[in-house]
Amino acid sequence: MKDSLKLLTRFSAHPDSRCWFVAWNPNGTLLASCGGDRAVRVWGREGDSWVCKSVLSEGHQRTVRKVAWSPCGNYLASASFDATTCIWKKQQDTFECVTTLEGHENEVKCVSWAPSGNLLATCSRDKSVWVWEVDEEDEYECVSVVNSHTQDVKHVIWHPNQELLASCSYDNTVKIYKEDDDDWICLDTLEGHESTVWSVDFDKSGQRLASCSDDKTVKIWREYLPGNEQGVVCKGSDPCWKSICTLSGFHTRTIYDISWCHLTNVIATACGDDAIRVFEEDAASDPHQPIFRLMAHVPKAHSQDVNCAAWNPKEGGLLASCSDDGEIGIWLYEPQN
Amino acid sequence: MAGPNRSDDLFDSILMADDRFRGEGYMEGFEEGERIGIIEGRCHGAVHGGKVASEVAFYYGFAFTWKCLLQNSTDVKAGKRLKTLETLIGMIQSFSHSDPASTTLQDDLDKVRSKFRQVCSLFSIPADFRQCFEHSGVSF
Repeated sequence: MKDSLKLLTRFSAHPDSRCWFVAWNPNGTLLASCGGDRAVRVWGREGDSWVCKSVLSEGHQRTVRKVAWSPCGNYLASASFDATTCIWKKQQDTFECVTTLEGHENEVKCVSWAPSGNLLATCSRDKSVWVWEVDEEDEYECVSVVNSHTQDVKHVIWHPNQELLASCSYDNTVKIYKEDDDDWICLDTLEGHESTVWSVDFDKSGQRLASCSDDKTVKIWREYLPGNEQGVVCKGSDPCWKSICTLSGFHTRTIYDISWCHLTNVIATACGDDAIRVFEEDAASDPHQPIFRLMAHVPKAHSQDVNCAAWNPKEGGLLASCSDDGEIGIWLYEPQN
Repeated sequence: MAGPNRSDDLFDSILMADDRFRGEGYMEGFEEGERIGIIEGRCHGAVHGGKVASEVAFYYGFAFTWKCLLQNSTDVKAGKRLKTLETLIGMIQSFSHSDPASTTLQDDLDKVRSKFRQVCSLFSIPADFRQCFEHSGVSF
């Protein structure tokens, strides 16, 4: 089982520091990483090795916690503990900081671009989620500040094909937001985790959501429309989300990140026990009570906490991970059936 | 000597004095406590009500001033800004400030604060006004 996830290469990305997050650009050719050294680095493949194409070091005063590529691949957003979010524009191999988004009271924990590229979401330790609108002239305007969580918001991510936003928090919940009359409102709160929810990711269709938590479990949630045959009760005309599967007993520490591959439908988790795990859905299981099987488990994937796992958007089975040890690992998952 | 009845009463009043004084003292103390409690509660309510009112009124004055300044602007961005200002003004006008027991008071206040932060961001104004209000008792 162990051999189905093979290490292709490993390199030091943020020496003497933590590597917090990695993100693939939309065509899967570049990998952006960020870390405790306040820098963002962009990596490209040259033969079998990965080389640093650019270093974005002038933007932030403190740790850069997350990075996100715009859907067009020409912009990179970085969220930092210095309470700002920088927008970088790509020009050949260099990046220029074109805007700094200010407004959060303290540490910005995550940034995410909507599939349309016209909206950006940020979240912070100040418990709020901000939605920004981008115009043609690269100007960003805040369209809403949503104070729905009662604690630090850890992660935000957009639905893959609708203008819906999901966030998760230290308050143990996941929340789903939609636009409503010029403002953004929380339409559902997903309760079930017993501790901090660190990350969430949608599947390809956007009908399902995977969340990972400090309670050492992964939960799969499914969207149900009002009047559904399964009898899941929704409030008013909005869809609601129900937990349809809990993966417990697999992880021994906090699960920091989760990535749901849109090409192969497999789920990878990054865990505080230094391991990476891959889960695959049993195709024969009931879609309303799916069964996920552990297909790969690399116990010492990194020498310290694994902070992030990200599937390449174009090359099925190619996974990037990063860790507190400052390194990035590139893996290939090959199902053994 | 008085009759047996009077003597009973006399002893009774001595023997029962402890209970009686305790009861009277309790009543007096209760009344005094009630009076002080009302005064303290009133002060506490006034301070906190005053804080909320001055915070919300500050937002209202801020929004109203900007609305006046922008009303005749031809800047393309003015339209969206005005709309957000009007949303904030609308929220404050419908704010249930007269009912301190309102269960939505805290939520409403949070919504007004969020909207104010959005307005500050749109106008590129730092939303941290603490320094201006250091001595006024406003805490936001």
